[in-house]
Amino acid sequence: MTDAAVSPPIAAPRIGERLADALLSGRGIWPAVPAIIVLMIVAVIPFVILLSLGFSDIEISRGDIVSQTFSLTHLTNALGDPLYWITFQRSLSLALTTTALCILFGYPVAYLFLTGGKWTKRLILVLTIAPLLTSGIVRTYAWLVILGGRGVVNQTLMGIGLIDQPLRIMNTHWAVLIGMVQIHLPVMILPLIAVMSRHDGQIVEAAENLGASRLGTLRTVILPLSVPGIGTGAALVFTLSYTTFVVPQLLGGGNYLNAATMIYEQVVFSLEWSKGSVSSLLLMVTCLIVLVTIALVTNHFTRWAKGRDA
Amino acid sequence: MMQGPTGPTRNVATTAPVLSIGAVSKRFGATKVLEDCSLDIAQGEIVTLLGPSGCGKTTLLRCVAGFWDADGGTIDIDGQDMAPVPVNRRPVGVVFQSYALFPHMTVAQNVGYALRMSSVPKAEADEKVTDALATVSLTGFEGRYPAQLSGGQQQRVAIARVLVMEPRVLLLDEPFNALDAKLRGAMQVELRQLIKTLGLTSIFVTHDQEEALTMSDRIAVMRAGRIEQVASPDEIFDRPATAYVADFIGTSNFWDGEANSGGVTLPDGQSTKTNLSGRVRVMARPHNLRLAPPEDGPWTGTVIFHRNVGPLIEYHVETPGGETIRVANMRQERARRIADRAEVSIAVIDPANCAVYPG
Amino acid sequence: MRAYRRTSLTDALGIGAILAVAIFSLLLLVAPSIIVVIISFDTRAFVSFPPEGFTLRWYAEVFKQGELVEAMINSLQVGVTVTVLCIILGVPTALACVRGRFRGTTALSVFVLVPHMVPGIVLGVAVLFAGALVGVSPSIWLQSISITVFILAVMVRTVQSRLMRLDSALEEAAANLRATPFQGLRTVTFPLLMPAILAGAVFTFVEGFDNLSVAIFTHGFRDRPLPVELLSLVQFTSSPLVAAVSGVQIVLAIVALVLVAMSIGLDNVNE
Repeated sequence: MTDAAVSPPIAAPRIGERLADALLSGRGIWPAVPAIIVLMIVAVIPFVILLSLGFSDIEISRGDIVSQTFSLTHLTNALGDPLYWITFQRSLSLALTTTALCILFGYPVAYLFLTGGKWTKRLILVLTIAPLLTSGIVRTYAWLVILGGRGVVNQTLMGIGLIDQPLRIMNTHWAVLIGMVQIHLPVMILPLIAVMSRHDGQIVEAAENLGASRLGTLRTVILPLSVPGIGTGAALVFTLSYTTFVVPQLLGGGNYLNAATMIYEQVVFSLEWSKGSVSSLLLMVTCLIVLVTIALVTNHFTRWAKGRDA
Repeated sequence: MMQGPTGPTRNVATTAPVLSIGAVSKRFGATKVLEDCSLDIAQGEIVTLLGPSGCGKTTLLRCVAGFWDADGGTIDIDGQDMAPVPVNRRPVGVVFQSYALFPHMTVAQNVGYALRMSSVPKAEADEKVTDALATVSLTGFEGRYPAQLSGGQQQRVAIARVLVMEPRVLLLDEPFNALDAKLRGAMQVELRQLIKTLGLTSIFVTHDQEEALTMSDRIAVMRAGRIEQVASPDEIFDRPATAYVADFIGTSNFWDGEANSGGVTLPDGQSTKTNLSGRVRVMARPHNLRLAPPEDGPWTGTVIFHRNVGPLIEYHVETPGGETIRVANMRQERARRIADRAEVSIAVIDPANCAVYPG
Repeated sequence: MRAYRRTSLTDALGIGAILAVAIFSLLLLVAPSIIVVIISFDTRAFVSFPPEGFTLRWYAEVFKQGELVEAMINSLQVGVTVTVLCIILGVPTALACVRGRFRGTTALSVFVLVPHMVPGIVLGVAVLFAGALVGVSPSIWLQSISITVFILAVMVRTVQSRLMRLDSALEEAAANLRATPFQGLRTVTFPLLMPAILAGAVFTFVEGFDNLSVAIFTHGFRDRPLPVELLSLVQFTSSPLVAAVSGVQIVLAIVALVLVAMSIGLDNVNE
């Protein structure tokens, strides 16, 4: 085969083939174009419209907008309305409490994940991911069963003779809070686990080998390293619990107003579009402010942790 | 030192080169990764691109394969310009560092892939797959998946996979990296013999000089995107064209000297010829030096360390100037071995074998 | 020489307390669902604990309720539509994000993420209003496309992370072995992306089936999806019927969990 076998002349690809390949090869932006168009039409443009509705006076007749003029009335009305302040304050404090409690209850699970064996890790993953695949309504409904007048808690308390009358837990702030924490706990645990599994188990062994107690290792090594996970988890839990609709509606008994339920009523029942738009925008803006704060705090502590290590 | 952009082929057979790389350059952003690289490869020749990581050797290989386009210069195969030819139509076969075997296909499916892609009739394709697997001694492994093979077997599948295409040029990108040290040596010899039997024109990329010396007909030593020297392994080793090549290949001792009237005086009093004048750097391989009792010569020093390198003993001798000179002597009887901390003098065995470079 | 310290009492107590909270939290995650399943077999017509007797009556009842069955079918349809749309739109987008050689690949990944970061109800309200302005009224299709936009990021990110871990030499090898870009995509890239696409499909289907925040504003007046139907059912029904519906959903969730575990493995859900 040493004598030069001349290769056959190489045919140039046909134009059609080249075009198909250029579109499909994934080197250009083309594969993403359909998604970009859909996102523009179904997300970006609607947001712009929402914004414009919140800042204008509109006149609706038979479901159509007949006139639209720029105005800040709705925004100033909303900001001057005590109901808005109360509702947003309630939503905010509920969401922040939920976030704090989720960290408190979620972190130990992540610690168990870090220190546990293979099967412990697997069990934690199953128990954390399974709820995420279950309907939020189903999970909230479970609390109706547990906290209701003839629910698990009351039956147990009466059974052991602690109380004679069923406690009224349902339709209170406490019921909402309990439901919130339980439903958003997996969202807190997952990012924590992600950070934990990124770090080598040897780092813990090294600390213990250097004479740190287990609590000391947790405080000086594990906690600083997991700050980013806490930040991510807190951001997710806050966003979800701040804007949730199901839990307050079901466990709050229909008259527990938070920002989300207020928007629902404005939009679906009283058809106040401009009000609904302003509320939605306020919800988004306040949510964003808290998220930025969480990010800043996380960054601060991450830097502190790194700086201290150095 | 360099071949011109369109310079004639050197040290190669008289027939037209199969692969001709002419003044190829490539940049990523502001970084020049290839500059004016020229190389002609004759039918059946194995040429190694050798250099440290980041020297551009893999980039050059990828330009030949067509994964990247060169910014300037030409790449011709059998006289045909490859610039307009897309990757999947170039008559080249690439053996990747990771082998890049398709994990979801069996050995037979991997090997037959190129034939399926070019719509070769099934019966003919099956026959070619069987032949290719026989060539790499993997008959009977058709139904296995890559994960069920050892590293060496995976490498042979990767080779069989490109062989079925009957490529004009074979490109091997550090194919021994994934193998453990012991297997490597055996596979090098085996692969060279296989390529030689098949008469495949090949480019082989490595950063390992021993691999290069084993595998190649010629070695192209690369440095910072340029080809420093192209020559046979013997010539590269014995007559490195630049100080860089001398330093990169084998062990070398360098010292400064002053050249005048066509010669330079060596520290032991002898002299060697050179065309250069003024400040120069002189290089001697450790096996071109020998040790003697201190009173035998003017170039003295203290042995600070010695180690066994195969049949040789390598002595590290520190001179009063603070340089460390490495001297390799054949292993001698215990009684005559020179102890550490001994005072010695160094002498050049053959001054003509010292190389002289611009200072 | 330093005396080797035994685990101190405070250390043991502290770690013990932490582990106790961890176990409590894990129980908290799973207990409510178990209680619901137990309740769903109760013979009594009201919800109480512990249950008395065992019956499958409520499960039979679920499938006798025309509205519930219709809602389930609607939600199945939304789930399937969302999944198909997410695959069609999301997989090529992930390819462009990872393999693209144009400026703004990062901007593209962020752009796809944005609708997922916005609260679902805000997206729902925005789509409802925008639709009304151009004369598109809420329907099962508006609901499907809105949820698609909301959850697309999950598909893109699941596929993206798999794609990033895929040896790019595999695609180059395909090209070198005579495959056109499209052939390479079909024979090498897609088969290797399948696990990620499957996992993404599970998540997007579940979202399409269960989503309430977007759906509540965009669903068709007559095509009520299961979550909307359930919401009113929970508020106005006191029988274990809802528990039975929940039981069905929990079974579906377990199927989804097994699918995810088999496709990409539970450890990789985070990415």
